[in-house]
Amino acid sequence: MSYAHHRRGGFSLRLLTGAGLVLFVIWSAAPILWLALSSVLEQRALIARPPDLSPQNLTLSNFITVIGSAAALGRGMLNSLIVALFATLASLALGAPAAYALARLSVPRASAIAFLVLATQMLPSIAIAIPLFLVISRLGLIDNLFSLGVVYLSFNLPIVIWILRNFFLGIPDGLEKAAAIDGAGVIGTFWHIVLPISLPPLGAAAVFAFVEAWNEFFFALILTRQSAQTVPLVIAAFAGQYQTVFGQMMAAALISVVPVILLAVLFRDWIVRGFADGMMKG
Amino acid sequence: MPSPATYEQRRQTAGLFLLAPSIVVLLAILGYPIVESLLLAFQKVQLAAGGIDRQFVGLANFQRLVADETFRRALLNTLYFAAAEVVLVVLIAFAIALLLNHPFGRAGLFRILLVVPWAIAPVANAVLWKWILNANYGVLNGLLQSLGIIDVYQVWLGTPVSALNFLLLVDVWKSVPFVALLLLAGLQRVPSVLYKAAYMDGASRLQTLMHVTLPSMRAAIAVAVVLQTIWSLRIFDLVFVLTRGGPADATVLLNFLAYRVTFNFLDIGYGAAIANVIFVMTILLAILYIRLVRPAGEAAR
Amino acid sequence: MSPSPSSTPLAIELRGVAKTFGSVPVCRDVDLAIAAGEFVTLLGPSGCGKTTTLNMVAGLEDCTSGDILLAGRRVNELSPVERDVAMVFQNYALYPHMTVAQNIGFTLRMRGTPRAEIDRRVKDVTTALELSHVVDRLPAQLSGGQQQRVAIGRAIVREPRIFLFDEPFSNLDAALRVKMRAEVKQLHRRLGVTSLFVTHDQEEAMSISDRIAVMNRGRVEQFGTPEEIYARPATRYVASFIGNPQIELLSGIVEAHEGGPVVRIGSELVRLASSLNTPAGRSVDIGVRPEHVRLGSGTLAGRVRLVQPVGPSSHVVIEWDGGSLIAAQPGFCRLQPGEPIRAEISAADVMVFDHASGVRLSQGMPRAN
Repeated sequence: MSYAHHRRGGFSLRLLTGAGLVLFVIWSAAPILWLALSSVLEQRALIARPPDLSPQNLTLSNFITVIGSAAALGRGMLNSLIVALFATLASLALGAPAAYALARLSVPRASAIAFLVLATQMLPSIAIAIPLFLVISRLGLIDNLFSLGVVYLSFNLPIVIWILRNFFLGIPDGLEKAAAIDGAGVIGTFWHIVLPISLPPLGAAAVFAFVEAWNEFFFALILTRQSAQTVPLVIAAFAGQYQTVFGQMMAAALISVVPVILLAVLFRDWIVRGFADGMMKG
Repeated sequence: MPSPATYEQRRQTAGLFLLAPSIVVLLAILGYPIVESLLLAFQKVQLAAGGIDRQFVGLANFQRLVADETFRRALLNTLYFAAAEVVLVVLIAFAIALLLNHPFGRAGLFRILLVVPWAIAPVANAVLWKWILNANYGVLNGLLQSLGIIDVYQVWLGTPVSALNFLLLVDVWKSVPFVALLLLAGLQRVPSVLYKAAYMDGASRLQTLMHVTLPSMRAAIAVAVVLQTIWSLRIFDLVFVLTRGGPADATVLLNFLAYRVTFNFLDIGYGAAIANVIFVMTILLAILYIRLVRPAGEAAR
Repeated sequence: MSPSPSSTPLAIELRGVAKTFGSVPVCRDVDLAIAAGEFVTLLGPSGCGKTTTLNMVAGLEDCTSGDILLAGRRVNELSPVERDVAMVFQNYALYPHMTVAQNIGFTLRMRGTPRAEIDRRVKDVTTALELSHVVDRLPAQLSGGQQQRVAIGRAIVREPRIFLFDEPFSNLDAALRVKMRAEVKQLHRRLGVTSLFVTHDQEEAMSISDRIAVMNRGRVEQFGTPEEIYARPATRYVASFIGNPQIELLSGIVEAHEGGPVVRIGSELVRLASSLNTPAGRSVDIGVRPEHVRLGSGTLAGRVRLVQPVGPSSHVVIEWDGGSLIAAQPGFCRLQPGEPIRAEISAADVMVFDHASGVRLSQGMPRAN
């Protein structure tokens, strides 16, 4: 039996693997499919026992109603977009140079600093939420997109630094030395050589930062009131208010998750490489 | 550069300049609140006429913790939730990682199924499951009834034990894919020559799993366990949307309790004390994590 | 091109240069004086400090003590740009996201050279290096030899004062390595730019250099022409590092004998040059280059242990009670293992090293210690 053949295994193992994969697909996909399906079914189909899935009950009216009536959803999406974009771009702009410094620029005690930076990401939100709330309200910046963005920046920064530092550590020595010989300064080397060859991890870090900021709920709940509400708050409020209009609730939820799901699916390889690998390395 | 500097000197100077902004931001936004939160836990804080009145009360807040029935309930809930979630998530994720590491599991669809639950907002996830678990029209009831498993529709979130366990199930569903990604990355790092050698040595599949795969994966599994524990201690959105802590405080986890005490009861000092308990638990786990991923010898640098 | 005393300052001069990482010494007291236009190689095993020395000349690493002078000017505090050196790296270190033309032109761009001039000079270099047809490709799309030439092109495009080479051929296969060696040598002849080359390959060093500095554990053991290094190694270390097959070293005690000193190696006597001024009783190591051992007749009696044909010659290991030697015989050797054989060594060809210090005892010149 060849090794390649052995890897696939005998009949029973292949059967077991196949069955396992089918289970995995059902387990992962069923809730999402139900989310999608509920959003395009009439209310009467959804409240039938069991739910009536016949095609004549399919409708786009849930989406039309949600988009037409809930101005909050549109504003929430826009707020989330602004806050997430700001948090993402700012964390890359600050985090990439910091990661480069920690990985390659002989900063004293660099690895200890890197671990401390990562440790801040593990802080329970509630521990910092209270003082942060007190300070921000004293500054009169409650319900303000900028203050929310800055808070998210501080959450994203450690992850961005961690992912990028792990990548920068692997860049061959020679490239920077060659650039120095060629006349590039430290910043020039970073800009012309290091950043252009780091697009995949930069992308992974960006997607990660964006998704985290887009989805964040706890601080948005504490730090916003009305005009700066982000999409998770809108969805939570919507679910509380219209909890019997199931189709519309699902339509709203679906609209809110589609942008980040698309990002995650498009950049899945980068996320897997940049993040999953990065968490395992010191 | 004012004076001539060598390559090494320039790199060191530039390094400090490049690092400084991030450190300043982290210190300002995270460092200050951490210190402040520690202080608050020893204070009685009252909101009075738009101002805040703070006075030190020593260990009073922590003494209240010991006597507080709700806190004890929340602590037990949290410990049960975290322990059960870690075990379930790591076991299921490891099984999935093994499946996806098999030649059959290489298809792109499987990777997509791993990133999608991760990307879904916890709030949207909670809203979705609230609908799935709905007592009158939920698809879970419909499905189980059609299959003949239950006779009548159940109120899944209506009784304490059931509510906490469904909360657990929903969070396991959301957490498994990412941990599976971590473990899959670990699996793919096991050198394939080890498997070939085990095959040449005539090891059975189970023996290979026990003696080659698991030992090589020890670090990855340990990291997954610690990270998942930290993440489990953070659960908030799910409780907020699905149960609001009910029924009868059965799903009040520490994080939610700290929120409720602080922002609903405006008992800020006491809320900070609860937050500090979570903080200490997390810090201990974080130290453990760092020990696990930090390669030996780097500590000397 | 041998060094000749002249009024022009030395192109590269190292005075007592030392480097320590933490408390670990990497280079100790390195002195080198390299004339303008010379091609000098730093040769030694990995970890001997040769690359660190090169990096210190380039300005990529600071030296802990000592002075580095380029064209008579102390450059310790200058960055690589200000030293005006070009360097070819191990593994090429080509910028993976830039085309061939961009790789070569990068250094000019960093110096603010006008666009048109960059284009012209890149074109000249790529033409000279036969890279014209690949200027728009990325490094990953090039063959190993082409990548190597791009790395060289990047170094020559700005006409620097000094070329530095850090094991540039270590990634190439054997045939290409020999070809690139010849190309670099011709390039040096054409441009006449002072070059400092690092390698662990003694054959490469011999074939390419005007002079070689053999390094061992952070020190320069010997600095001389390839011929000096090969024929008159200063130390036992240099003798054993240079030469293929490696020289066989035998330990023994000098004895007075009729007609001159000898060393007893097991059952046999090896005759030393009578001009060698060393007292009887001294502990020494002796070595003979394989080509200086003549088989067939002579005073040494032994047996054939092993015959290794390598093409143009065969290496024959002969052994006797208490010792062995390698002899190089032209062509394919028909000797069989176990066969008795006699060998002759001219006393003048026997290199003698002090056993304790490893320093070679030169003939006709009495040495202290």
